[in-house]
Amino acid sequence: MVELKNVSVTYSSGVDALNHVSLKINDGDFAFVVGSSGAGKSTMIKLLLKEIEATEGTVVVNGYNLSKLRRSKIPNLRRTIGIVFQDFRLIPSMTVYENIAFVLRVIDAPKSYIRKRVPYVISLVGLQAKANNYPNELSGGEKQRVAIARALVNDPKLIIADEPTGNIDPELSYEIVELLMGINACGTTILMVTHEHDLVRHFGGRIINIAKGEIVYDDIMEGEVLYEETIAPGVDEDMMEDADEA
Amino acid sequence: MKLSGFRYLVEQGIDNVWKNRMMAFASFCVLLVSLLLVGFSVLVYLNVNTVIGGIESKNEVIVYLDDDTTDEEIEEIGTRLKGMSNVSEVIFYSKEEAYESLKQSMAEYEVLFESLGDDNPLVDAYRIKVKDIAGIRGTINEIKLLDHIYSIRAPYDFVNVLIQLRSILTWVMGAVIVAMVIVSMVIISNTTRTSVFSRREEIQIMKYVGATDAFIRFPFFIEGMITGFFAGALALVVTWLAYDGIVNILQNQSTLLNIIGTGSIIPFNDIYAPVTACYIGGGALVGALGSAVSTRKYINV
Repeated sequence: MVELKNVSVTYSSGVDALNHVSLKINDGDFAFVVGSSGAGKSTMIKLLLKEIEATEGTVVVNGYNLSKLRRSKIPNLRRTIGIVFQDFRLIPSMTVYENIAFVLRVIDAPKSYIRKRVPYVISLVGLQAKANNYPNELSGGEKQRVAIARALVNDPKLIIADEPTGNIDPELSYEIVELLMGINACGTTILMVTHEHDLVRHFGGRIINIAKGEIVYDDIMEGEVLYEETIAPGVDEDMMEDADEA
Repeated sequence: MKLSGFRYLVEQGIDNVWKNRMMAFASFCVLLVSLLLVGFSVLVYLNVNTVIGGIESKNEVIVYLDDDTTDEEIEEIGTRLKGMSNVSEVIFYSKEEAYESLKQSMAEYEVLFESLGDDNPLVDAYRIKVKDIAGIRGTINEIKLLDHIYSIRAPYDFVNVLIQLRSILTWVMGAVIVAMVIVSMVIISNTTRTSVFSRREEIQIMKYVGATDAFIRFPFFIEGMITGFFAGALALVVTWLAYDGIVNILQNQSTLLNIIGTGSIIPFNDIYAPVTACYIGGGALVGALGSAVSTRKYINV
């Protein structure tokens, strides 16, 4: 769960990035965060990852009150969040498998679990054949699938996708969102930041519009397609449950 | 952390050396040059210091005794001289020996010596050497307090020159060594920062997926340690070969060796152990800390 209560962020330059924002995203929700450049979307993501501090107000993410969270505990918070970036941010010196397994190594997961879990997550994003490839050998869409697999591998409560379709072909954008929706269908909360209105109109759902540091719209909007139809190929709830049991 | 996790981080550190081989090679070269600069400065200082020590040890103080001093009193003075803390060597030089030596050195004045007959105008003396030439004045004052001391001859001017020379050398070489260490630290710091800068995204990704600072730093620490170890090992080999080569050249310079003393150059075998420890230990430590500390800027996300 993500909850912002009367949150403001003012940068040292004097810029008010967020202005008395209140927001609640419940477990299992899927929400699009939209807004133009400089609206405050990136600031919100930085807040949720405790990269920056709120100047005012309270931020609670997955049970962690971020204003009271000590620096040494930030890794614990981040282990409950999966993050997908626009520019993929894969480690270039690691293969697809290693990039994903790395997240589990960070949490000191048993080797046997890593050996089971990583191939499974790779299969969820349809990249079994590319497991031993390096990021520079993949297309943009494939890289983003790896990033999603990496975000998913430690079974986080929340996935934050920051413009995940920004660097890939438009037709692949729909696949990426479908993949995220498939993951959401299995219970993971998804917060997807985007400025691609076509995508939002297409899929619909909860839309949070930020402008000049304030939430100007937060409601459910019906999409052009039904959510159930958009589950990614190869992903179904049984598979996700199997993985959780593993 | 589990043992498997620790092993993984060590393996990552080792793998990173190869994966980032260009930057690792740059760090290796910088560490190598820095270690050689500092190492050679220290070795030159040690040797010049020993050379000065060798020259100092050749200077002696001659203590002349009163003519009427009995054999027992002479022996007593010798014992007191040997008991002085700054005295390293005491040799009795009888007036008979001195007279014979004088006659030999002034053979052309044989007539003069014949005119003296059996009268020996010289006195008994002790020739002493001091341990620390800087303390020679204090030692002489101590000797003056003894009974039956006729006079003392000491090379004051030469001692002053040596003391000043040693003082200047200590300051100059100290400054050179400090400068070398500072220059080396700046270069090493910049190189490791460049190396870490090129991997700042990697560090940020690690932070975003919940890696602790220690988890991120440890492979950098291992990577830097390996690079530093090999730089230290090569610096040791280069120093060894260069040092032995220089010593061989100097040993063929008999005139120079006569001036500075054959024992004044320190053989490499005598300093092999500390030099090895300093090069390899120092290289590994500087490499490891340099890498780990340089990650700090990018770790705070």
